[in-house]
Amino acid sequence: MKILLIEDDREAASYLIQALDEAGHVTHHASDGETGYAMASSMDYDVLIIDRMLPRRDGLSIIESLRAEANKTPVLILSALGEVDDRVTGLRAGGDDYLAKPYAFTELLARIEVLARRSSPSEAATTYEVADLSLDRLSRKVERGGEQILLQPREFRLLEYLMKNAGKVVTRTMLLENVWDYHFDPQTNVIDVHMSRLRGKIDKGHANPLLHTIRGAGYMIRA
Amino acid sequence: MLKFAQLWRTTTARLTAIFIVLFVVFSILLLGFVAYQSSIQLQAQQTAAIDREVELLQRIDTRQGIRGILYAVSRLAGQPGPGIYYLGDGEGLQVAGNVSTFPTEVLQNPGTYSFNYARDQAFEGDQAQGFAVVRSVLLDSGLHLVVGRDVVERRGFTAIIFQAFLLAVVGILVFSVIAGLITARRVLRRIDTINATSAKIMTGNLSERIPVTRRNDEFDSLATNLNAMLDRIEGLMQGLKEVTDNVAHDLKTPLTRLRTQAEAALRETDDSPAQRAALETTLSESDRLIRTFNALLMIARAEAGAPSGAFADVDVSAVAADVAELYEPAAEEQGITLTTAIAPGVTLWANRELIGQALVNLIENALKYAAPRDGEKGQIVVSVAADKGRVLVSVGDNGPGIPEADRERVKERWVRLEKSRTEAGSGLGLSLVSAVARLHKGAFRVEDNAPGVRAVIDLPAAP
Repeated sequence: MKILLIEDDREAASYLIQALDEAGHVTHHASDGETGYAMASSMDYDVLIIDRMLPRRDGLSIIESLRAEANKTPVLILSALGEVDDRVTGLRAGGDDYLAKPYAFTELLARIEVLARRSSPSEAATTYEVADLSLDRLSRKVERGGEQILLQPREFRLLEYLMKNAGKVVTRTMLLENVWDYHFDPQTNVIDVHMSRLRGKIDKGHANPLLHTIRGAGYMIRA
Repeated sequence: MLKFAQLWRTTTARLTAIFIVLFVVFSILLLGFVAYQSSIQLQAQQTAAIDREVELLQRIDTRQGIRGILYAVSRLAGQPGPGIYYLGDGEGLQVAGNVSTFPTEVLQNPGTYSFNYARDQAFEGDQAQGFAVVRSVLLDSGLHLVVGRDVVERRGFTAIIFQAFLLAVVGILVFSVIAGLITARRVLRRIDTINATSAKIMTGNLSERIPVTRRNDEFDSLATNLNAMLDRIEGLMQGLKEVTDNVAHDLKTPLTRLRTQAEAALRETDDSPAQRAALETTLSESDRLIRTFNALLMIARAEAGAPSGAFADVDVSAVAADVAELYEPAAEEQGITLTTAIAPGVTLWANRELIGQALVNLIENALKYAAPRDGEKGQIVVSVAADKGRVLVSVGDNGPGIPEADRERVKERWVRLEKSRTEAGSGLGLSLVSAVARLHKGAFRVEDNAPGVRAVIDLPAAP
């Protein structure tokens, strides 16, 4: 994946670039808003990671300009501001996701991988399939090995989100944001309990489990 | 009617009413004095006229004798007017005059009298009864002479004064009530504008200003001063926001580096378990630090009543149901039954995230205390109720409860009761709930749930 990182904190940026490199991504770096904007509008990237507070040009104005030019590259906003209002203004400016500093690298990685996938056409698919598990978004039916699985509405949405991002790590915060639409981070293991219930319904009695726990990161559904 | 009650409460209306009353009382006194003085004057004139006539008739009686006086009295009695004349003997036998019947006392004892009399003979009037003022004298000729005046005229005069007075009072009343109402309404309108603007500002829209007219009156100087104050408050709020933003930025940048470095080091360290453990602790401690820091920032912003674009019509019932559903499995795992008593469709103008966060804090708090003891299952009830313009969002548990003396204290920052000091948590959870409640113009309180604690967020339905 080709990534552009616009971040003025060189030290943080260099660690991030190194970590992204280890994860197998190519990262370009700009340390101020003007350079970042020039690079983002002239080259083709899979994901842009833009810090909100930047010298010479504010992160949000870069995003607004890009969107005005019909540049639809997914943008992850990084910000030291984590307030609800800040998140709302960030997303309104055209950002696709918002991550407050400081963040866990695994969280950032999971988010950009999910973001980059957005440009792929499978977005509009009405059925998701992973191995012998299938989910029909229209009839809201879930089947595994031809047998129907009955899920609660919330469990359905959990599975739907996981299957939409099959093969990608999905963090607990991402689940909370996308399935419950809340942005706080719960101090207890609330999400884990929901996941173990879901696991009980889709993996129980099957030889090969599909729902995997990724230690220190989150969950993933894959064959 | 409500409008009138509102008008009556204004100072202008009350002042007007007081002035009307004072004016009426003063007018009564003044007009009463005038009426009294005029009637005294009139009476004096009449008395003088009676005296003159009596003197004249006495002279006629002395000089010309009975024939003369008889003629004179007959002449006088025949003239139209308020004059009353009588000439006769002491027993009531009349020889001349226009009134025949008098109280016996009047004829027998000379002097001045006033009495009611039947106004049949004297002159035509619309009333049968008249009031007379008379002077009775005994003439040299031995005849009794009574000369008097019907005072209906005088009374008529008093009535005119009284009528004029009534008319004046009614006129004054009508005009001052109208003038008072107009003034009060004008004042009320100006004050209403100021109030409406203040209300808007208090809901968080700090950029509102009170309109200043070109009249340059005392309301305008009030508005100008209030606006200057608002400019200052807005500046301070903006400053506070900038400070917290800068603090957030300046603190979070090094924290981010710290975290990234620890993460990077963790990736590179493969063998030494002690080093791994140390790095993992660094990570979790920095996360804890940032959580506390975020909670503090959130409280600071909520307490500053930061104007929020994140306010919207929020279905509180749905939020509570969501959060309860989110926590239900986790509670179940701890042996705690989490149930709900949520009235459907309760909506509020609120910040959904903050209401959700407050509920999460309350539930997480309850989860710490409602742990099953003595074989009894822990119970948590999440409820939402709308009652008389209030929206009550509450979380109750059946834990050991909080002594009454400590119930106020738990809302303060950093306060953790002795029992819980060993537990994880920053001690900021409930103060955030408290700040959220205040931001929504409500209150947070901790009640006895017998047993356990019921934490209630009490919000006005329409802030």
